[in-house]
Formats: sequence, C-alpha cells, structure tokens
Amino acid sequence: MGVSFPSTDYFEALKARMVEQDEKFRRLGYIDTTFGVAVGQNGKARNFILEFEVFDLKNVREVASIDLKQVDFVLEGDSPVWREMIENIKRNGQADASHDINTLAHFGERLKIRYDDPDGHDKLYRFMESIQEFFDLSSKLDVSF
Amino acid sequence: MAYLATNNYFEDKDFVDKWLYTMRTGELDLSWMNAATEKVKPKEANPRRGLTYRDIDLGSYGYTDMPEKVRRNRSYAPRGAEIPEGVPDAQPWVSRKSELWAFNTESYYEEAVSRQWNATTDIPWDRLEGVELPENIGKSLSQLMTFLTEVEMIATDTPAMWLPRLNPDFIEVRSFIASQAMDEARHAEVFRKRALTTGWGLMQASPMNEMALKHLRDADSFSEMSVALHLVAEGNVLTLFRFSEYLSPTDVDKRIFRLVMQDEARHVGYGMQHFKYVLEHFPEKREVLHAHLDEAENISFAGAAATELTEAFIILAGGGMKQENIEEGIKITTKFNLKQMQEHFERLDKCGMPERRERSKLYKMYEMGVAAAQAAGINLN
Amino acid sequence: MAFYAEKDYTEDETVLEAANKVMQGQLGLHWYDAKTEKVKGKPADFRRGLTYKDLDIGSYGYTAIAENLRDSKSMVSRGSEKVGKLPDMGYVVNRKSEVWSDNVAALYEEAKARRWVPATDIPWSELDKNPLAPEMEAACAQLYTFLQECTQITLDFPSRWVALVNQDFLEQKSWMCAQMLDGSRLFEVFRKRALFGGSGLKRASVHAEQGLKEWLWAETYPQGSVSINLALAGLLLAIYRHVAAFAPSRVDAAIMRYAMQDAGRQVAYGSGQLRYYTRHRPLEIPAMEQYVDDAEHVMLALLGSPEILEPLIIISGRGLDAAEVRAGRIAVLRFIRLAVQEYLERISAAGLKGHSKRSRIPQFIDRIDGPA
Repeated sequence: MGVSFPSTDYFEALKARMVEQDEKFRRLGYIDTTFGVAVGQNGKARNFILEFEVFDLKNVREVASIDLKQVDFVLEGDSPVWREMIENIKRNGQADASHDINTLAHFGERLKIRYDDPDGHDKLYRFMESIQEFFDLSSKLDVSF
Repeated sequence: MAYLATNNYFEDKDFVDKWLYTMRTGELDLSWMNAATEKVKPKEANPRRGLTYRDIDLGSYGYTDMPEKVRRNRSYAPRGAEIPEGVPDAQPWVSRKSELWAFNTESYYEEAVSRQWNATTDIPWDRLEGVELPENIGKSLSQLMTFLTEVEMIATDTPAMWLPRLNPDFIEVRSFIASQAMDEARHAEVFRKRALTTGWGLMQASPMNEMALKHLRDADSFSEMSVALHLVAEGNVLTLFRFSEYLSPTDVDKRIFRLVMQDEARHVGYGMQHFKYVLEHFPEKREVLHAHLDEAENISFAGAAATELTEAFIILAGGGMKQENIEEGIKITTKFNLKQMQEHFERLDKCGMPERRERSKLYKMYEMGVAAAQAAGINLN
Repeated sequence: MAFYAEKDYTEDETVLEAANKVMQGQLGLHWYDAKTEKVKGKPADFRRGLTYKDLDIGSYGYTAIAENLRDSKSMVSRGSEKVGKLPDMGYVVNRKSEVWSDNVAALYEEAKARRWVPATDIPWSELDKNPLAPEMEAACAQLYTFLQECTQITLDFPSRWVALVNQDFLEQKSWMCAQMLDGSRLFEVFRKRALFGGSGLKRASVHAEQGLKEWLWAETYPQGSVSINLALAGLLLAIYRHVAAFAPSRVDAAIMRYAMQDAGRQVAYGSGQLRYYTRHRPLEIPAMEQYVDDAEHVMLALLGSPEILEPLIIISGRGLDAAEVRAGRIAVLRFIRLAVQEYLERISAAGLKGHSKRSRIPQFIDRIDGPA
C-alpha cells in the first residue's frame, strides 16, 4: 500500500518498518532525540515532529510550526529535495553518496539544519546512523508525492 | 615496587589463621552483613532501555547527592559502600565534583555503551573491491586518513591518563572516559584501515598538528584538558568529520564518517555539559579557562599552516587537481574553515561564555575570514 | 601549563602566508609524493571483516615493529613519512617485549566483536519476579561490592599506562582501550546488580584493597601486567566461573557469562605478554621471578578476605544452615584449589617454569584441613 509524502502516514509507515527491524536498531543503540522535519511547498511548509526514544520512533505528529526550543534540530528543505532523496533511496535500497542526510544538509544548500542549541544540533550527529537507517527504510515503501 | 601493602599476607599470622579457621570450621564472621549502608530498591524506569545508572541514582549511591568536595572516600571502595579503617589511599588528583562533572554524564556513558560499533565488520569493506580512485583523490584521501590516525590516539591517551587521577567516587565520569578511550581507539583503527586500502598507504605526518596534540596532553587540570580536548579539538574534528562525509569519494567512506561522527558528537556533548557545569559551580575557574582557551585557540589557528591537510581537502572537495577543481575546492574548504570557527563560538556562547568573542583573537580572524569570503562571492548561508 | 606553543600564531606572518598561499590556489603538495609504502589491503575473509591482521603488511605491520623504538617519539602513525619538527610525547614503554603479546591484535578484534550492554542484555526483571532469600541477596551484595573494588583496579591499570606506551604499538594501545571499556562495563554491571537486589552495597575490603594497590602500583608494565592481567584476571575468571556454576538467579548467571568472556580475554593477554617477555628477555626472568615471589602474597589477601570468602561460601552452599555452609565450604575449597592451580599453570606455561615449586601459596592451601 502506498503512502504519500509529506504526511504522518509516511513517518508512521517508517515507524512500523523500524519495529520490524528491531534487532538492527537495537544494534545501532539508543536513539534519544526529538527533531523536526519541515517540507516546503509553494512557499508554505508542512511540519512534523518526530520523537525517538530508546530504540524506537515513539511519536510523530504534524504541527503548524516548530518551536526550535522544543526540539533538538529541524531538517528543513523544499519538497523536490525530499522527493529526490526518497526516490534515490527507493532506487538504491539506501541513500547513495549524494543523497544521505549529512551530504544534503552539510552546507545548508539543499537541506538546512535549524537549531537553537548547538548541543541539540550535535544530536543529529550523535544518532546519525540510526537517523540515516530510519530514512533508508523508505526503500521498502511505495511513496507518492 | 611503588606501593607495598601494609601487610605481607604470607607473614600475617592473624589473617591466615582466621582464613584457615573459617575454612575448617565454617564459622563465618558475617560482620559485613551488618554494614552500615543504605538499602534501596531501584526500578527500571523504562524496561526497554534496561537498568541504567539513572535508575540507581538513589540516596548515598547516587550521583545527584554527591557532595561538591569528596572527603569521605579516597580508596577503591565503590560509592556508598561501608569503608573500614585501613583501606589504602588511591591518590586521586581530582576530588571536586565541579572540576569534572557534566550534566547528564551518566546518559553519555550509557549511550556510548549502547552505540558501540565495530570497524572490522560494520564497514562494508567488500564494496571497495574493484574501486580504483583517481590518483589525486586516492592520495588526498590517504593524506586525510593519515592526519586522522595521528589525531585519534592522542584523544585516547589524554582522557585515559586522567582516569586514574579521578576520585573513584566519580564512577560515571570515569566510565565515560573509558568509553571515550575505546571510541578513539576505534577511530584510529578505522582511519588506518581505510588508508591502507586506498592503494597509497599512509602519507605524510603533520608536525603543526602534532604540536596541537602535545598541548592537549599537558593541561594542568581536568577542566582545562576537557575544554581543549572535548570542546575545542573535538568540536573542530566533529565539523571536520561532517565535512569529510560530505566530500567522501565512496559510500564506504561515507559510512566511516557517519559512524565516527556519532562518537565525536557524544564527546563534544560531554565537553559542553562539563563546561556549563564548571562555569556554574566553580565560577573562579572562568578566568583560568579563558586563559586555557587563549592557548587552545592559538593552536587551533596554527592548524591553518598545516597545508598537507588543507590541500588534501581542496582536492577532495573540488574533485581533482585541474584549475577549476582547485577553485571549487577552495570555495568549499573556505566554507568549512569558517563553519568550524562559527560552531566553536556558538558552543561557547551556549555554555555561558558569550564574552569569549570579545577576548578571542581567533574570533577576530573569523570575522576577517567571513569578510574575505563574502568579498570573494562565497555563499556562507 | 606544562606546554606552550612556540609563538602566538595569530600574529605570525608565516602561518597567514602559508594559509593564504594555499587558499589562493598555490598548492605546495609537499605531501603528494610521500615516501611511504603503497599497499592495498583487503580482508582475508569478508565475513570476518577487515582485521588488523589483514593489514600486517610490510612497514605498516605489527610483525615488523622493532624491539627498540628509537626514532618514534611522537604521534605519527606507524608507517607514515616523518617530516619536520615532531614533538616528544614522553613515552616510557618503548620496547616491544615490555608490552607485546602475539595475540594482542586478535584480542582487540574479539573485544569489539563480543560487545554487550549491561543495561539491556541482562534480564533484570527476573530478579523482581524471583527474589532471592535475604541471606542470599546479602551475600550477593557483598560479592558484588568486592567485585566492584577489583574492577576499579582492572580499569585503572590500562588507564595508568596507555599514554606512556609508544604510539607505534597501536594494536597494543587499542587493546588497552578495549580493556578500559571492559573494566567500566563490568564495574557497571556489578554495581547495578548489587543495588537492584535491594540489599544495597556492603563492606569494602581492607585486605583486598591493600593488595590490589600493591599490584596496581607495580613499577614496571611487565610486572603490573603479570599481577593484574594474569593473576588478578585469572582469579576473577575463576570467581565468575564458580558463581556462574552456583548462580542463585538467571540474572547472576547471565552477568557471570559475560564477565567470563571479558576476563578470559584479559587472562589470554596477561599470559601472552609474560610469554613474550620471557621469550625475548630471558635475562630478566630472575628479576621477574623475584617480583612474583614478593607480590604473590596478595593472592592470599584476595582469597582469604572475609568480604569474598564468606559470600562465596553462602552462595555456593545456597544458604546459611549448617549443612549449606558445609556444602559451601567444600565448593569454595575446590574453587580455591582450582584458582591457585590454574594461576600456577599459567605462570609456568608463560615462562616462569620453576615457579610452581617456589611459590609459597600452595603450602597455605595445603594447610586448609577442609572437609573436601
């Protein structure tokens, strides 16, 4: 069954896949971070907050706007960039060297990282492999845009 | 022998007789059963997370109620145990909590244990089969890896040498330091392994950077070591890892840098939280730490002359050695250099040292660098 | 500050010039043709991954490390080209025979591969479902208090030395870091177990700590290694095996199985180091014999301290009734004999061949006119 992006259904579908791959995520270790995903569309943004705890995505919700003080960081980008990333993951089974989160976000040219506290910002890197593997689970979904 | 026990147990008749008597008769002394210690009953706050140090942060066993100055214990007795007369002095150098504590120390340690990875098996080395990088990219990558192998073992030695100097009551910090030593050993390993799989082997040492490593080792106090290592050096290296991931030529290299950055970010997190803690709880240290930052930033700036690293970055970032590659590589490397400094000052701001910008010569260099980059049309976002 | 940089680089024109030159596109490339060996290592077995052994090649390999390291004082990675003015990091262990063991690279790989997590790999809730009798829980609390004291020492020993060991012994230093993590993890699991059981901690041991400090503070690395990595780790391994065999709960059995693995590696290194040392430094054997003779009394302090002896008897006999204590004594006597026998076997096999005859420990063991 397909899911559309952006939507809470998309993240819920990744959450379900994460549960199926519990052993893999346990092996990667604790992931304790709450971060935002902002997807720009026609000058507006759809915003999601993802709460990870222990080895799981505990909760995902869509919000009107994201208060940077309430999250560790926000991954923000226009819809075509997210789409390109998700399609790339689908095509390769995982993000290729040009489409992983850090590459897209490093200089803020394609995705931007917004944060209030550098300590929260650094959590993106503390849990980088879990976050990347989480998005790579898109390869198992049929995503429409 | 540098220490002799107060008794030679071969000659200690009372001790031996008591032991033999117990074994022969089964008459147990059992005085330890009445140890004057607290009874507690911890619970797993979250069974999926398991039993954590936070779950056993209770009463006299916990870290929350530890005094600022540890006067009660200088031995190897675990915190909260009954300490009889006659235990030896472990000779700790640091017995003041604010000199080493960080907010959330225990969770940094638990995270480290939980997120250990293996450079031998978690990197898809098989994907390097048949990969032949162009000479200039291969050599540049090897040069970068050579530099990183130099850096990483000092990041092991420096915290490790402090560990036995910390009062044994500081269990969670000692544990975090042990996990950091292992993290850094794994980093030295993975960078060496990658250099030796490029076809070029290791390249040239970096004398300027080695001087910086010497500086890290020779701090007067744990706090000074931590600010120079965890906050300045590892903060810079974290940005460098992200940059290296960004310009990695293969997905194998990408994975290496993603994994090492996880560890590095944890160390920086500890460094930030310790820096906050010491500034809040030991305000007299502020000037000492400023003075140490003067030196650390001076050495940080000297890294600009380590051209063996900068040049390798330019080639990797530009994708080669043609003029257009070099020009592109310079633009990207400039952004990296400035980002490294920007993030350094952001961290200091957030930790409670915003006045650092006024005092710092490095900050002035940063401002000049930003102005020059903007004049050259480099987009700094 | 013990070390200051030679100058204020922010005011040093040469730094700015060097940086500006490169950033203007004038690359010097002095590193580009580094005089180093060109190699392309690969895994011998992809399932095992890329090991240090796979990279034991030419000038990069550990096999080729010289016995005396005279030109290596900095952090330069073994096999790189050394240029310019490199700092002296103050290493004091510069002879391979003083630290090396032929199995050290393999042990480091094994330590990583056999990682475990005390918080989540132990079935803690089992202890809530099946609590122990009060005297058994108290004995466990005392046992785990004692084991925490011992693991403070196994954690401190590599930490004290690692920065003093020459960087060329990379695999050795990496192994010492793995030992540090092992030490902190064991300390953690023992502490959590003691507190989770509800009895709290019990009493520290004067005798054990006095002895442990003597071992920890040995003057040379080879001496300290014999005491900590061979004698202490061997004794702890025997304790872990024994407690696993008489484990009062699934939690204790799981803890002891993990602890055995970690201690087993440590003993393998301790034996290997002594073997390497005696093989390459035969003239040092008498001095080492003398050290072991002098330091071996600590084994009695560890075996005879009531803070370990009594809880072991209670756990082994499963209680405090006379019959239980008798059964416990029999088991503990067998444990003591086994621990000492294995210690003497190891030390002998590692190169101190006549030691079992000179050791004074057996005569004390023989004096236990136990019921066994």
